[in-house]
Amino acid sequence: MSATAATFRWELFKLYRRPAVWVSVIILLVLALALGYGLVWYIYTHPPARAAASLPRGASFALLKVGLYPAAFVKHTLGQWSTLGGVFALIVGVLSQGSEYGWGTVKTLFTQRPGRLSLLAGKLTALAVLVLVMVVALFAVDAASSYVVALLDGKSVSWPAWQDVAKGIAAAWLIFGFWAVLGFSLATIFRQSAMAIGLGLAYAVLIEGIIFAILGTLGSDYTKVIEPWFPLANAGYLVAAFGQAAEGSGAPAAAPLADATHAVATLLVYVATLIAVSAVLTRRRDVTS
Amino acid sequence: MGRVTGEKLVEARGLTKHYSNGVVAVQDLDLNVMRGEVYGFLGPNGAGKTTTLRMLLGLIRPTSGSAIVVGHQPGSPAGLARVGAIVETPAFYPYLSGRDNLRILAGLSGADESRIGSCLEEVDLTPRAHHKFETYSMGMKQRLGVAAALLKEPDLLILDEPTNGLDPQGMADMRSLIVELGKGDRTVLISSHLLNEVELMCTRVGVIQQGRLVSEGTMDEIRGATQLLVRAEPADQARRVLEAAVGADHVTASDGAFRVKVALEETADLNRQLVAAGVAVSELRPSERSLEEAFMALTGEKGGL
Repeated sequence: MSATAATFRWELFKLYRRPAVWVSVIILLVLALALGYGLVWYIYTHPPARAAASLPRGASFALLKVGLYPAAFVKHTLGQWSTLGGVFALIVGVLSQGSEYGWGTVKTLFTQRPGRLSLLAGKLTALAVLVLVMVVALFAVDAASSYVVALLDGKSVSWPAWQDVAKGIAAAWLIFGFWAVLGFSLATIFRQSAMAIGLGLAYAVLIEGIIFAILGTLGSDYTKVIEPWFPLANAGYLVAAFGQAAEGSGAPAAAPLADATHAVATLLVYVATLIAVSAVLTRRRDVTS
Repeated sequence: MGRVTGEKLVEARGLTKHYSNGVVAVQDLDLNVMRGEVYGFLGPNGAGKTTTLRMLLGLIRPTSGSAIVVGHQPGSPAGLARVGAIVETPAFYPYLSGRDNLRILAGLSGADESRIGSCLEEVDLTPRAHHKFETYSMGMKQRLGVAAALLKEPDLLILDEPTNGLDPQGMADMRSLIVELGKGDRTVLISSHLLNEVELMCTRVGVIQQGRLVSEGTMDEIRGATQLLVRAEPADQARRVLEAAVGADHVTASDGAFRVKVALEETADLNRQLVAAGVAVSELRPSERSLEEAFMALTGEKGGL
């Protein structure tokens, strides 16, 4: 077995046996079930008085509910979880690398036989597999939830084409993968978990939004030029390419500034760049703790 | 102790490490460790021992100088396959059992997984092998570290302060274990700031002070030649006789007695001269300088005691 293959195998073992990883995945799935479907379905079914008045013109709770049914579950999953779910992928990425520094196991790993880059390659491959498992589990939970919602509402069940499901999973894998690699790289840069999670969350919640808000005050031309090169914006373009979960349920969303091909290419460049940064630091930096 | 051969398992030349904050951790250090010996790398805290060992393992890049470890560059996969190491505190995955931690390391290092049982047995950790690492005492963590280092059946064991944090019984157990490990052809390189520990375990010693190797040799070489201890009255008269016989440079007063650098065959003649001069000799015997005295003479410190 090659050094990278051995590292991949044992990294998977470490991730599989680590309670914090399971907790992160399970919380994501519980949120998808409870908030993404359970709470939304309840509110749409039992809307508060006068709530209908606050809906956009032409929208209704019945139309919004269409987005919860099986035919729309891929769009629903992508639209709802591309950022929030990405945060969980970020946490898993940080856990995969940051804890090695916290426990001091970096020196233990680096004094075994595989070279540093083989260890990194095995680690990132195992992380990619874990993120794919997260995405597939998320889609499975949402598919099951949408089925139950359709049964509760007495609607006939129709599923999206398998190709659309596969594309949705691939898109989510790329978006979650970006987040996981971002977390992994931040943990490598700062050699710890806390700073990496803090900065990653700040980026998810604040930083890109603040940049676009500032650009917006300068005029839309700046936004049109710069926004298509930011990762969260491109995740949004990729999700938008799948369409809205509940068509005609409100005012149409603004057209994305770039298409899916641009979004995929940009996200891949970010992933590759972050991996390259991690590789350079891993290979060259002294291990002093 | 092991069978020492002329083969150098560690050869460092001019190893130097300057950190970006201006600290010079190691300066122009030469080191030779022969196959089969238990080599003690002795120095006070902060002398540069751990930095040196990290450079030998490829964890830290030297600013200048070079090293060959078991015939390979430090940190090369081929070299690491033949080296087992504990650097400072042994570090493992706290949520996994001792045995599972060893399974991971065996998988990564290419060691035979069937060796895990015998390694755990060797460090007397079998009964706790299935417990999580986070529940281990300091002594058990150190022993798991040794078991991990043994997995690869290494030619060279590098142990950095292996008794750190252990209680007296744990220290004694670890010392016995290391002496056992040093038997046969295996080579052990131990760093320590504890003089008695090095004295009990090691065949050869390198003394490091402020990043520089100030002395290297066997225990006897480090201690220096055996001296003669003379206790006699009156002291002034005794000193005059001794200085006349061997030279003033070879006589030092210590604890109400004199230490005389002289060939032991001349003991009887020296005794005759003292008695003939009317000096009453109450004690006259060979005296070895302790490693502590040698260490203090070399470093000017009373390190680790």
